[in-house]
Amino acid sequence: MASNKMQQANQSQKLMIFVLTMALYGLATLFTELIPKFQVGIVEFSVEFFLFIPLTLAMLFDPMSAALGAATGELVFSEIMLGQFGGLGEIEKFVTVTIGVYVAGRLVADPKNRKLVGVAAFAGTALQLLLGTIVDILKVQFAIEDFEAVAGLPESVFFTEGFAFVNDLLFSGILFALLPTLFLVPRLHGKIEPLLGMAPRSEKISLGKLSAKAVLGCVIAFAVAIAAEFLAENGMAIIDWEADWAESGTAMAVAMLVAAIASVGVVLAMRTKGTKAAQKGV
Amino acid sequence: MKAVEKLSESIFDKLSIDFLRNQVLKNAYGNNDTVIAGLDPRILLVWYLFFGIVPWFVSDVTFLLGCFVLVAVTTLMAHVAGLILFLFGLGVFTQTGYLLIVTLLFGGDATAVAPLLVLTLKVATVSLASVTVFSGMDPDKLANGLMWYGCPERLSFSISYAYRMLPILMEEFQNILLSYRLRGNPPEHETLMGKIKYLIYQLKVIIHSFYPLMLNTAKRSRTTVEVLEIKGYRYAAINKDVKKIKLASLQVTNNDLLFLSLSFLWVAVTVLLSTLI
Repeated sequence: MASNKMQQANQSQKLMIFVLTMALYGLATLFTELIPKFQVGIVEFSVEFFLFIPLTLAMLFDPMSAALGAATGELVFSEIMLGQFGGLGEIEKFVTVTIGVYVAGRLVADPKNRKLVGVAAFAGTALQLLLGTIVDILKVQFAIEDFEAVAGLPESVFFTEGFAFVNDLLFSGILFALLPTLFLVPRLHGKIEPLLGMAPRSEKISLGKLSAKAVLGCVIAFAVAIAAEFLAENGMAIIDWEADWAESGTAMAVAMLVAAIASVGVVLAMRTKGTKAAQKGV
Repeated sequence: MKAVEKLSESIFDKLSIDFLRNQVLKNAYGNNDTVIAGLDPRILLVWYLFFGIVPWFVSDVTFLLGCFVLVAVTTLMAHVAGLILFLFGLGVFTQTGYLLIVTLLFGGDATAVAPLLVLTLKVATVSLASVTVFSGMDPDKLANGLMWYGCPERLSFSISYAYRMLPILMEEFQNILLSYRLRGNPPEHETLMGKIKYLIYQLKVIIHSFYPLMLNTAKRSRTTVEVLEIKGYRYAAINKDVKKIKLASLQVTNNDLLFLSLSFLWVAVTVLLSTLI
């Protein structure tokens, strides 16, 4: 049968992969979140010390479940449980991690091929860091009013972000993605799959090539991530622009009114929902 | 000399996995009796929505300061663990503080300070609001609240699962790490070269210990999912009746409304002040 040629995971196996990646990567990011980020001079290392975990699992199992599990694990364990949730801005991290891990997982047709595993691990990390850098530059450009007018700011942002990208890539790409993945993938291959009741991925049983559809999906997801960042941080540009012709006091009052109406609406909805439930209960 | 060595050793001991674990557990489990933890999760999420979004849109310093004071007070009320607050301070600095220094380096002057100060206030307010809500609330309650607003079942499942599994996972990771250390022979770390070797050795041990951890967790996650299947989890996740039973525990009390209206009053006062000034 043709379907036998693909590494197929059924729904519950996908959930297993999701839970596995979530628990492991979540635990690991919890520690990295707790260790203060170390800075050398002006450059902040935002190294993903443990990206090798989802990378390894995405190369061995269904890449999409592993990628989503990794992103969710980071969100839940290190952001929500520690109370460091950054609101809409977290979508950016979620999407970049998902894309990076997914692409790396799809690139590997046969986990026994060490060269391919290495290239895929490096490429996945590079992709994740590059997307993050693009978003960061755009963020600072729009978050600060009169970006161009402040002397020295544009150059400094490009310089620090570019330097941080190269640094992170060399540092985390080789030390924390390439080497551990090369160590773990061949060792786990054939051992960990039976634990989840699956056949190991090999040349014969692989997921086809990276399709155009998947690439398009990644691009769209990234666009959504940028849009979310803009919504999270730069909606204020619109308000500021409006405030030019409106009195700032009135603009503020209007914003207050809208917020008040929204919250009152939610409270009312909650009440009606409660009474409806009570009526149904009787 | 000996005393100094002892001191530094004890500081490094404090920064060990045990310390981190205690802080995390304290943060997740330790403050269920605070005022913030007693509030309804839906109310707190609405509250967070306001203080997580509105500050980004406003550049008025008075208003931002007012919001900042309010979220600082609620953070105190939530009894957040010390380490989290330290990380918060560090995070705010690394997000905007270093930009200031770099700007000055590249020939910017005092005009750069004002927009950066506003940005810092915004970042601080928004992150303190999230610390209050997500650190002060019991994760189970948070999961229920998110579910009420129609978040995917997967997310609230993940939160509840993480809440229960975290202590077990941390302990297991620590045990594996310790067993590797017991069997290993760390290199001398007196000289600089030795220190680098020691660091590499430590990193290697951590990476190696993920090998058994991955296998163990794979077994465990299979058990978890199989148990969930037996209980009909995938059908329950999309069933409306099950959801209703699950969310029946949520109740808005007078305390919640009081909290909301007090916050609202404070914001209104700051708006009034900012228009007067």
